[in-house]
Amino acid sequence: MDMTVYAVFFYIIAALIIVSAGMAITRKHMVHAVLYLVVSFLATALLFYLLGAPLLAVFQVIIYAGAIMVLFLFIVMMIRPAPAGERSLTAGRLAAAFGVCGIYVAAALVLAFMAAPEAGRPMAAAAASPFAFGFYLFDRHWLAVEMVSLLLLVALIGALHLGRAGRRNQSERKEPL
Amino acid sequence: MTDWILFIPELYTLAAAGVFFFFCLGRARPGRDYAAAMVLSAAGLVLTVCSAGFEGLIFEGVYRVDLYSQVFKVLIYSGFFLVVCLCADLSGVDETRHSEFYLLLCLCTLAMMLLASSVHLLTLYISLEISSYSLYVLVYLRRGSSQRVKPAFQYFVMGAAASAVMLFGFALVYGAFGSAHMAELMHQVPARIHEPLVFTGFVLSLSGFFFKLAVFPFHFWAPDAYEAAPHQVSAYIATASKVAAIAILVRMIALTGGQGDRVAWVLIFVSVASMTAGNLAALIQKDIKRLLAFSSVAHAGYVMIGILSANAMGYAGAVFYGLSLMVMKFVCFMVVVKASDGGRNIDTEALAGLHHRAPVLALALLLALFGLAGIPPTIGFTAKLLVFRAAMDQGLLWLVIVAMFNVVISLYYYLLVLKAAYYTESEGRPREVALSVPLKCLAGAMIFLMVAGGLWPGYMIVLAESMTAGLLP
Repeated sequence: MDMTVYAVFFYIIAALIIVSAGMAITRKHMVHAVLYLVVSFLATALLFYLLGAPLLAVFQVIIYAGAIMVLFLFIVMMIRPAPAGERSLTAGRLAAAFGVCGIYVAAALVLAFMAAPEAGRPMAAAAASPFAFGFYLFDRHWLAVEMVSLLLLVALIGALHLGRAGRRNQSERKEPL
Repeated sequence: MTDWILFIPELYTLAAAGVFFFFCLGRARPGRDYAAAMVLSAAGLVLTVCSAGFEGLIFEGVYRVDLYSQVFKVLIYSGFFLVVCLCADLSGVDETRHSEFYLLLCLCTLAMMLLASSVHLLTLYISLEISSYSLYVLVYLRRGSSQRVKPAFQYFVMGAAASAVMLFGFALVYGAFGSAHMAELMHQVPARIHEPLVFTGFVLSLSGFFFKLAVFPFHFWAPDAYEAAPHQVSAYIATASKVAAIAILVRMIALTGGQGDRVAWVLIFVSVASMTAGNLAALIQKDIKRLLAFSSVAHAGYVMIGILSANAMGYAGAVFYGLSLMVMKFVCFMVVVKASDGGRNIDTEALAGLHHRAPVLALALLLALFGLAGIPPTIGFTAKLLVFRAAMDQGLLWLVIVAMFNVVISLYYYLLVLKAAYYTESEGRPREVALSVPLKCLAGAMIFLMVAGGLWPGYMIVLAESMTAGLLP
C-alpha cells in the first residue's frame, strides 16, 4: 500500500484532531478545554482543505474556531464555573459511554464488511466557489435561511428567559411551590 | 415564482406570533393574552381548514402543499387550539410570562406546519429544530424553582444529541445520492437501500423523529419533561407534537418504497422495545403525567407497527392513529388540568370521585382511557385495528400478537385510573371541579369524536387513505 504525501498529512491531522478533542473533554480548567477545542477545529479546517473543500475550511475557521469559540470563552469568563471538585466522569459512566460508542462502531464495521466491495464508491469532489454557494443558498433555499432567523429568535427568547430567571432566583430566594 | 396563496396559513401563524411578540414587550396582562390566543388560534384553525384543498409546490420546490400536508396542518392547528382552550387556568406559568408562552406555542405550531410540508432535508431539519427549541423553553417555563431545571436541561441535551445523529444521517444520505430533495430520493432510495452507506444514513436520520415521537432509545426525556412542564405544555407535546412527528416519519419511511427489509427490522425492534418499555414502566407510575408519558411511549410503538408495514393501510392507519391519539390524550390532559390545583401535579388518587364532581369530564375520561386501551367502540380501537391489519397483511402476525400482549398489560394501568375516577370515593371534602359551559361543550365534542371514530370511522379512513395515496410508489 503506497502512502502519498496527502495520506501522510491526512493521518497526522486526524491524529491531531483526536488528541486535541480528547484533551478538551478531559481538562478540568474550562479555558484550557476551550483552547484545545480551538486546536481541534483548526485541524478540522485543515482536513477540509486537504480534501478539496477550501470554502468549507474557511467557514470552519471563521464560524467554529472564530465566532463560536469566542462565545464559549465569553461564557466561561462571565459565569466563572467553580472548578469541579470530584470527577463527574466515573468509571461506570465512562464504561457506559464507551459501550454505546462501541455498539455504533461494531454495527458500522459489520455493515461495512457485509457490503460487496464494489458498493463503496468515492464521492465526486464538489468544490464550490463562494459565489456559487451564496447564489445557490439564497436562490434555492432562502426559505431555510428565513427559517433560521426564526430559530435564532426562539433561541434568543430562551436565553433571555434563562438569564432573567437566574437573576430573579438570586433576588428572591423563596418561591412558591 | 412563488404562489403566496398556498403559504397563507403559515404567514398567518407568523403574524399571530408577531402579535404575541409585541405583547411581550409591554406590561404583562394575562387576560388579554388568553383572549388574543383564543381568537387567533380559532381563526387560524378556520383558515387552515379552508386551505385544506390547496395543492402545489412552492419555494423552488422545497415546500410541498398537498392534501397530506394540509390535513396534518389542520390536525396540528387543532392541537394548538385545543391546548389554548386549556389555558384559562394557566397557573403553572408565571403571570409575567404568559405572552412568551403563547409566542413560543405559536412559533412551535408554525414550525410543525413547515415540517409537515417540507420535502427537502434542509428545510425539514430546520423546522424540526425550531419546534424542538420552542418546546425546550416551554418546558422550562414552569413556575417554581429548582425541580424544572434538570428535566428541561435533560430534554435539551437529549434533543441536541438526537438531532446531531440525525444530521449525520442526513449527511450520509446526501453523500450517497448527491441530493437532499425527497422527490429525487424517492426514485433512488428503494433500489439502493441495502447499501451500507444508504442504510446507515437512513436509519440514523430517523433518530430525530424518533426523539420527537418518544420511541424507545430516545424516550428517556419523556417522563421527566412531561412531569416538569406546565400541564398545557405536556398536553401540547402529547398531541400536536406527536402528530407532527407521525407526519414526517410516515413521509420518511415512504421514501423506502416498501423495499427496506433491513430498515423494517430496525423499526420492528424499536416498535417492540418502546411498546414493552412504555407499558411496563407505566404500571408503577403514581403521577398521572408520568403515566401518560409512558403511555405515549407505548403508543409510539403501536404507531410504528403501522408505519413499518409500509403499505397503503399501514400509512393510513398511522395517520388515523395520530388523530385518535390527539383526541384521547387531549381529554386526559383536560382532566389533569381541571383536577389539579394551582398547576400542581396530581396523583391518580386525586381523581377520586370525579364522576360526582364532573360527570361529563369523567365520561370523557372513561372513553379516552378505553380508547387508549383499544376497547371498542372507541376511536382508539379503530386505530389499533387499522395498524394491526396492515401488519397482518405483511405477514407479521407475531408482531401483532406481541402488541396484543402489550395492550393487555396497558389495560391494567388505564383501569386503575378509571377505578380512581369511578369507584373510589374521595376522603374529606374534595376540590370542586368547575367546568365552564364552553369546556363542557368541548368535552361533549370530544366524546362525540371518540364514539364516532369507533362506530362510523369510514369517512376518516377514506380521508387518511387519500392523504397517503401520494406517498406510495
